[in-house]
Amino acid sequence: MDKSAALDVLTVRGVSAGYRGRRIVADISVELRFGDVLGLLGANGSGKSTLLKAVTGQIRLMAGTVAIAGVDLEQAPERAKAELGLAIDGPELPSALSGRQYLELVASIRSCAASDWPCSDVVSRLGLSAWLARPIAEYSLGTRAKISIAAALLGSPKLLIFDESLNGLDPLAAFEVKEMIRELAATGRHAIVVSTHVVETVPALCTRAIFLADGRIVEHWNTQELAQASQAPGAFESCVMKALNAHALQSAAVA
Amino acid sequence: MRHDTFVLSLMWRETRNCVKSANLSDLAWVVLGGSAFLAYGAGNAVVALRRGSETLRARQEPWIIVLLAAFALGLAGGVILSKVAWSRAFAPFLKALPLSITERRRMAAVAALSIGAPFVVLAGAGVGAACLRVDKPYAAAWGFGAGTTCAAGVASALYLQLFVANNEAPDDLSTPFANAAKCIPAPWLATFDRAAPAWLGAWACGLPAGALRLTARLFATSFLFVLAAALAIGASLARHEAAPAAVAGMIGGLIAFMISLRCHPLGSPVLRTTPQGFMSVWLRLLRLPLVLSAVCFVAPASAAVIAEPSAWTTPVASGLCLLILNGAYAVFAGFFLNAPLVAALAFFIAIAYAGYEFLEYGDTVIIGFAALIALLWHKSLRRYRHG
Repeated sequence: MDKSAALDVLTVRGVSAGYRGRRIVADISVELRFGDVLGLLGANGSGKSTLLKAVTGQIRLMAGTVAIAGVDLEQAPERAKAELGLAIDGPELPSALSGRQYLELVASIRSCAASDWPCSDVVSRLGLSAWLARPIAEYSLGTRAKISIAAALLGSPKLLIFDESLNGLDPLAAFEVKEMIRELAATGRHAIVVSTHVVETVPALCTRAIFLADGRIVEHWNTQELAQASQAPGAFESCVMKALNAHALQSAAVA
Repeated sequence: MRHDTFVLSLMWRETRNCVKSANLSDLAWVVLGGSAFLAYGAGNAVVALRRGSETLRARQEPWIIVLLAAFALGLAGGVILSKVAWSRAFAPFLKALPLSITERRRMAAVAALSIGAPFVVLAGAGVGAACLRVDKPYAAAWGFGAGTTCAAGVASALYLQLFVANNEAPDDLSTPFANAAKCIPAPWLATFDRAAPAWLGAWACGLPAGALRLTARLFATSFLFVLAAALAIGASLARHEAAPAAVAGMIGGLIAFMISLRCHPLGSPVLRTTPQGFMSVWLRLLRLPLVLSAVCFVAPASAAVIAEPSAWTTPVASGLCLLILNGAYAVFAGFFLNAPLVAALAFFIAIAYAGYEFLEYGDTVIIGFAALIALLWHKSLRRYRHG
C-alpha cells in the first residue's frame, strides 16, 4: 500500500453496484482522507443510497473495490465495518427497543461504553435525554434521526456516513449535528460522508462534494470551488441546478 | 360496493411485483423444482392409492379422516388468508382513508373468499380423483363432501377472524407500546440479553423496551403448555413409562423454540453494517428461545426419569433429538427471516417428507436433509453479507 493510500479512510475504486443484476451506480471512484467531509448530492433515484449501501457492505459490488481505513470490504468485511459508523434510516431502527437499549446494542457490538462518543454530551446536545427510556416505536421522524446519529458516533469510528440523516431534524438539532460534523472533521480523526437534498447545507458543511446522476458522478467540487460557490446566497444551489439541467439535456440528446 | 375488490387487487399486484422482482434463476428453481416435486408427489400418491386400493374401497374410516383433514386444512388456510387480507385492509395508504370497519371487513372477506375458493375446489377434486382411482363407490359424493368440509373450514376461520375477533385495526408493529398498561418489566430478561449484541432477544421478540406484554394469547399458550405437560407427566407416572413424558418434553420444547425464535434482525442494516459476523448474530438469536425450549423440556424429562429410572436413555435421546430439531429449525428461520409462519410450514413439510422417504430410502434421506440445511445456511449467510 502506498503512503497516500494509507491516509485514505475510504477508497472507492471503479465501483458498480445494483440490485438483481441491474446496475444502479457504475464506475464510481472516490477517496476520502481524515478531515474530509464529502457532500453527496443527486436527484431522487440517482443512486446515492445504492452507493452508500455498497460502501457499507449491504449489497454486493458488481465491480470495483471498497476499502475502509485500508481494509478491503469484500475480503475482510467485519474488520472493515469496525471502522464504519452509519446513521441507520429511521424505519430500519429496532422499534421495540428503547433508545438506551439501542445505544447499548451498538456499544456492545463496538466493544465500547454506551456513552463513548467522539464529542461531548451528544445526548443532551441532540435533545434526546427525555426519550432514552422510551421505545423507538414512539419516536418521531426527527427523534429517530437523532438516536440514529448518536448510535453512529458511538465508539468514534473513523468513517461516518449520514444518509439523509438531517431530514426531519428540528432547527436546533440540525444546527448541533452540523456543528458536531465540523468538530469531528476538525479533529482530523474522522472522515464524513453526508448525503443530502438540502443543497445549501453542502458548502457550509462539506470540504468536497460530488453530484450523482443516473448512477454516475457527473460533477464534483473541491474546497475552493465550494467556497467560491457559496459566496452569494443561493449560488451553490444555482450551480447544482446547472449541473442537473446540463445532465438532463445530455441524456435527452443521447436518447 | 366499488371498494370491495380493493384488497384482492392489492394482493394480486403484490404477488405480481414479487414475481417480477425475483431473480430469473430463483423463479426457474421455484417453477421447475416445484413442478418436479409436485409430479413426484402425485406419482407417489397414485402408487400408494393403488397399493391400498382394496382397503380404501371397502372401508369408510380413512375417508372420514380425509374429510376431517379437509376441514382442518380449510381452517388453517382460512386463518392465514384472513390474517393476510385483514392486514392489507389496513395498509398504510388505506389507513387514513374514510373507510369504515365494515367496508374493510368486506374487502378482506372478498379477497380471502376469492383466493380460498379455488383451493376448496382443488381439495374436493383431489379427493374425488383419489376415490375414482380406487374405484370407491360414490366418488363424486366423497369429493363434494371433502370440498364442502374444506369450505366449511375456510368459512369458519373467516367468520372467526374477520367478524368475531377483529373489531379494530391489526396490531401495528410500529406502536408496540399501544398496550403500555399491559406491559410488565422483565428484569430477569436482562441477564439473558446483556451479552453482545445486547438486547438482541428483546428486539427479535418485539418486547417493548425489554418489557413483557401480557396478552390473552400469551396466557392461552402458557396454559396449553402446562396442561399438555401435566397430562404427559401424569400418564408417565401412572403407567411407570418414560416415553409419554419424554416425547411430550421434546415436542413441547420444539414448539416453544419455534414460537419464540425470530430472526428478522439478521436482515437489518443495524447489524449488517457493523463488525458482527453472521454466525455470532445467529447464535445469539437462539439464546432466549433455547432457554425457553429447555424450560419446557426439563420438567417432563425429569418426570420421565422418575417414572421409569431404568429407561433414562429415553429422555436423553429425546433431548438430543430436540437439540437437532431446534438446530434444523433455526436454519429454516434464518432463511425465511421475516416469515416465521412460512419457516415453520417449510420445516414441517421437510420433516414430514424426509420421514416419508426414510421408510423407502433409509439413511440416504438424512444426507439429503442435511444437504438442504447446508444450502439454506449458505444462502442465509450470503444474504447477510451481500444483501
